[in-house]
Amino acid sequence: MRRLPIAALAAALLFVLVWNVSVRQAALFAIGIGMGATLAGARFGFTTGWRNLIVARDPRGVVGQAILLALAALGSMPLLVQFPELKAALAPPSVSLVVGAFLFGLTMQIADGCGSGTLYKAGMGVPLNMGILPLFALGSFLGSVHLDRWLALGVIEPVGLVDHFGAAGALVATFAGLAAAVVLALAWSGVKGHASWLDRRWLWGAVLLAALAVLNLVVAGQPWGVVYGFGLWAAKLATAAEVFDPAASMFWSQPGNAEILRQSVLLDVTSITNIGILAGALWVAAGTASAGRQLTAVQWLIGLAAGFVMGYSSRLAFGCNVGAMVSGISTGSLHGWLWVPLAFAGTLIGLRVRRRFGFDAA
Amino acid sequence: MKRTAYLKSAFWGALALFLAWDHARAPRIDLRFEPPLIAAGSGQTSTAGHCALPK
Repeated sequence: MRRLPIAALAAALLFVLVWNVSVRQAALFAIGIGMGATLAGARFGFTTGWRNLIVARDPRGVVGQAILLALAALGSMPLLVQFPELKAALAPPSVSLVVGAFLFGLTMQIADGCGSGTLYKAGMGVPLNMGILPLFALGSFLGSVHLDRWLALGVIEPVGLVDHFGAAGALVATFAGLAAAVVLALAWSGVKGHASWLDRRWLWGAVLLAALAVLNLVVAGQPWGVVYGFGLWAAKLATAAEVFDPAASMFWSQPGNAEILRQSVLLDVTSITNIGILAGALWVAAGTASAGRQLTAVQWLIGLAAGFVMGYSSRLAFGCNVGAMVSGISTGSLHGWLWVPLAFAGTLIGLRVRRRFGFDAA
Repeated sequence: MKRTAYLKSAFWGALALFLAWDHARAPRIDLRFEPPLIAAGSGQTSTAGHCALPK
């Protein structure tokens, strides 16, 4: 497929949104397209960055991600203080966060894509990620249904760095944390000279994604997220099929969620950016060689199962690499800082599983 | 190659079908309640869903 027809279709949907939904949703769709095009164009994969650091001692991806977080925090934290109507991605540290982040880090390596990675790779036409997306949605939905039982195991109130220390204090703490992570990554890698740890592709990806994440916050009033939209889509289908009663669910019976479930998916902030990411990645992939690889039946089965667990665990962890890590850390939520080491620990196991089932050779 | 093309068609077809189905079953969008283009400075706090929300 050529890029022009895709651009025409995206423009048509943009027009439909402006005319029939709202200018804000149209703007968020455009932001999503930018995110998808950047993720796919720069191949900005959170999963790959972590894998490259551990397996190949290549820190460039992790340094790129740290730059993204630092720039997004630099843009977001002062805005959160300046405009009280903007919300941070605050989530409560909990047992569910510990279990969810670990499982997410484990399964994202098997599925070869986190939340945003699954989206942009599905948009680019990578077969496994296209197959994973519906199962990710199902897992995310089931995670939301079970969330109250997980929260009953132990939870404390969300901690926001901006609320506690102000924008300047939160920025200093965030930069210090990110600098420590980069120093650790460089020490592990043993690299010398900036050419071996700073890559142009990761750098421009980080700058553009940070700008788009801040824009998302300014326009939507809340940070960038991915997982909520997936769970919503599955919840809609389950409700329509009468296999699920939202009134019996702690999560979906909340007035805000119940209303979002009832109304058009085009009004949902996360869904519209998700669709934009798919469209942006499709546009980038058009005209290029397919990135698909041949997998065995067992690899397909393992990959799809990992996608389902990834959806479920991301709901328990209050987000994926985007909702918890990028948005959590850049808006000063403690849960983002807890998410990263737990998911990284899971990744260490996930890489072994990945190797055991021959995904690296595929 | 052919299988990937079928998969792509099924994927995008399913997404388009889902959006069309949802549009048909959801209540009509009332444009009178359209939110301001930019949330920052609007005075209206977002009530949208997010993955960080515990409920």
